[in-house]
Amino acid sequence: MMKFNHKTFFIALISLLLSGNLVYGLDLSSIEFPALNKIELPNIKKIQLDNGMRIYLLEDKTLPLIEASARIHGGSYLEPADKVGLGDLMGDLMRDGGTQKWAPDELDEMLEGLGASLNSYADVISSGVNLMMLSTKKELSVELLAEVMRRPRYDEARFEQAMIAYKSGISRRNDNDASIAGREFGKMIYGSESPYARHAEYKTLGAISRNDLIDFHKKICRPDHVQLAVWGDFDTAEMLAIIKKYFGDWKKGTEKIADFPKVDYKFDQRVGFVERADSKQSNVYLGHIGGNTLDPENSHRIVMNNILGVGFGSRLFNEVRSKHGLCYSVYGVYTSNISYPGKFFCYVGTKGESTIKAINLIKSEIERMKTEEATEKELKSAKDRYLNSFVFNFESKGQIIQRMVYYDFFGLPKDFLNKQKEEVEGTTAADVKAAAQKYLKPEAMRVIVVGNPKSFDAPLETLNNGSITKIDVTIPQ
Amino acid sequence: MNRALKGLFAVIIMIAACSLAYGSVFDFSRLQKSIVEKTLPNGLKIIVLPRHEVPVVSMVTWADVGGSDDPKGYTGMAHMFEHMAFKGTDEIGTTDPAKEVLLMAKEDAIFEQLRLERLKGDKGDKRKLERLEKDFEKAIADAYALIVPNAFSNKLENEGAEGLNAFTSKDQTAYMVSLPSNKFELWMALESERFLRPRLREMYREREVVAEERRMTVENRPMSRLLEEFLSTAFKAHPYGIPLIGHSSDIQNYSRSAAKDFFDKYYGPNNLTLAIVGDVKPEKVFELAEKYWARVPSKYKPERVATVEPTQICERTVIMPDKAQPIILMGWHIPDETHKDMPALSALSSILGSGRTSRLYRRMVRDDKAAVSVSAFSGWPGSKYPCLSVVFCYPAQGKSASECDKIILEEIEKIKNASVTPEELERVKTGTMTGLIAGLKNNMGLAQNLAQYNQIWGDWRALFGELDRINAVTCDDIQRVAKKYFVKTGRTLAVLETAQESEK
Repeated sequence: MMKFNHKTFFIALISLLLSGNLVYGLDLSSIEFPALNKIELPNIKKIQLDNGMRIYLLEDKTLPLIEASARIHGGSYLEPADKVGLGDLMGDLMRDGGTQKWAPDELDEMLEGLGASLNSYADVISSGVNLMMLSTKKELSVELLAEVMRRPRYDEARFEQAMIAYKSGISRRNDNDASIAGREFGKMIYGSESPYARHAEYKTLGAISRNDLIDFHKKICRPDHVQLAVWGDFDTAEMLAIIKKYFGDWKKGTEKIADFPKVDYKFDQRVGFVERADSKQSNVYLGHIGGNTLDPENSHRIVMNNILGVGFGSRLFNEVRSKHGLCYSVYGVYTSNISYPGKFFCYVGTKGESTIKAINLIKSEIERMKTEEATEKELKSAKDRYLNSFVFNFESKGQIIQRMVYYDFFGLPKDFLNKQKEEVEGTTAADVKAAAQKYLKPEAMRVIVVGNPKSFDAPLETLNNGSITKIDVTIPQ
Repeated sequence: MNRALKGLFAVIIMIAACSLAYGSVFDFSRLQKSIVEKTLPNGLKIIVLPRHEVPVVSMVTWADVGGSDDPKGYTGMAHMFEHMAFKGTDEIGTTDPAKEVLLMAKEDAIFEQLRLERLKGDKGDKRKLERLEKDFEKAIADAYALIVPNAFSNKLENEGAEGLNAFTSKDQTAYMVSLPSNKFELWMALESERFLRPRLREMYREREVVAEERRMTVENRPMSRLLEEFLSTAFKAHPYGIPLIGHSSDIQNYSRSAAKDFFDKYYGPNNLTLAIVGDVKPEKVFELAEKYWARVPSKYKPERVATVEPTQICERTVIMPDKAQPIILMGWHIPDETHKDMPALSALSSILGSGRTSRLYRRMVRDDKAAVSVSAFSGWPGSKYPCLSVVFCYPAQGKSASECDKIILEEIEKIKNASVTPEELERVKTGTMTGLIAGLKNNMGLAQNLAQYNQIWGDWRALFGELDRINAVTCDDIQRVAKKYFVKTGRTLAVLETAQESEK
């Protein structure tokens, strides 16, 4: 037996030595980085029509395309609590339901005949329309946007079809453990009735009529809520004239819509648990409420995220995936919005037998952010990743113009991104630790576990993370 | 009615106007002329498209090896190696290259004994297994102590890398990253080094990561489980039928030497292509390629898979009971991507099941309300070898898979009997053109397309030939291929049937 042992060792050793027995010659330190070409900031023309509609235009003649995106203030947060799903339906059917000029089938045929794409949507805080088509049809592209935003048909048959799709969606919503975990975690943070986490049920869909869609659309889609960005192959003056032709006579809205609702959050510990007998892997989220982009430490938190849980070099990736091999996917991030608070959350998908171990590893990494300062190397790496990839914020025209729309809506200064960059440059290890101490609360986290408890390495009680609630995800009929 | 007719008329006019504009809308030939390629003496091919609008560059290293090349008993090895390619090189990723070799050899030696003992199954010596497992854990921990985790990736990410990633498919393995263009040389250096002197450290931990990836992407997802059943039924002989990520038992059996053998066979420079799109000068790219890649010795060009899937002689059906809601998918055998029938098959799939004007969407989603989603695609799960034309469908709530199956077959029968309309075919052609133009917006997407067409067709120019090929398709061609390939005996059907807990 010993002999065999030595032999395999010897063979393995030789093969490894052979593989390394080539000339060494890579000297990374000799590589010089020339100065990066200056980023030419494109000249975006901004115009406000008399009716309050804001227009952003950017010429770019590299390809024969026109692209547009309209951001409309107002989304599903405005739907009544007994009609959850109304916002999404309104958003989808703005385009899918046809327009006064074009029945849904005509619209579909025309767009696909042109190889064009036109989509509408509603999310929680805003709605919108996106378009891409060949620039041979400049006027038609604007007319399409105007038809969809100003004169949607909300075709009865398409409404019925969408209802079937939405109800089928509900029937399928428990088919994937990972999406159960994400959905239920959102409700644990914002509350199950919160517009930021709630979701449609058969009952709330059943309460929605086609007229509700028309009324909801009327309420939010009006020129003083719209920011229309158009970029691509056109002349600015010509495009502006077309836009005025199709949107100039649109009447301003008068009714004031509600502000983004506040989130009432008290830090505490809880474990939510969804039992899935067939589960092959536990899906886990843990965290708490997050922050506002305008918090003074926002840039410090960007560096903190990179150290803790974003990217290959992060602590969570190194510890939970590389060192312990407990997962394929692990990350942690403190998110911020301007409209309503973001979330701090960590995710891991791990086999049942390492569920508790993985959660505890993540928890101790969060704690370490508060107790230990990052090493100089970690700090540099976290900052470099942000600073050196900064140029990718300017990779496409669409990105640049849509960022401007967003900043403009929330009244951020034009140079907000550059300010943020300067702040990241100046961030110290002490800043990161202070931000962690102020914003991370491993002692008050909410945890959701979706999996098969029979396979867990220890009972959920051993997490010592407050009360354990079994969440029933049975779909109410 | 009047309005509808008017609308239809307008549509026809627009289609006519658009077809006149073919070719004149965008001059692909100018773009094509700016693409340069070079092959080094060791066989490495480099394709460069310079674009200087923004100081960034996207790179892909495209390896002509995929899941179809997995060795017997090592399903998933192509994918496993993709993971290992991020573990660094002899010098990058360790604090002590020489000592690491010894510790890795120790891991390998213990694992080999453990592996052989495990293969004995119930007859294995339990005490010995326990001891070996303990030793193995210790050897892994000892080797890990010398590791600088994720050092290779960090070198790129710290310099501003975006989208650092890789994927493995049945036909290829691709390694992607974008960088600020002034860091281009760093990529050349690192990329050549990892395929010259990869060090397969953390081999045994990484297997566990891959096992978790399998749990996440396959075992915990009903659709993925169904796909595995479907493919292994449709392909009895050709490796398109084996799971890309590997069987669990094979993953547990991977050794470092098996991974090394795989690398030695498939990762010679003559089996790789670099595609680079962005703010670089081709002369400089070629100069750096000489500097860094000329060090990498050529290898035997690996052969293609010899196994040809035998003609399917009877319809095959898989029924998978599951708690999830119904899913139905079906496929017919078709040739590889370069076959002359492929443009017509691809158009047929689009007309059947791509977009809101497609026949299946209109019939099943819009009119009969039998499905909430249906789509068709030709060239799956790979296209280097003869593959499948498939239809995927999610039935609407309360509708059965068999209702959907019946409708899908009826619609295919209609095309066999009366082909498609010129308007339908025209839409496919226009869609292909705008898709090609829109695809030019994205450096990384374009780099991958150039590399893929180069691999499958032997020439990246085939990407731009896509337009000519689709424009040559006629309605008769579509009817002919429908009759030729969509035959009953050649069909494989897979259905997820919703079952109660007790039935499982």
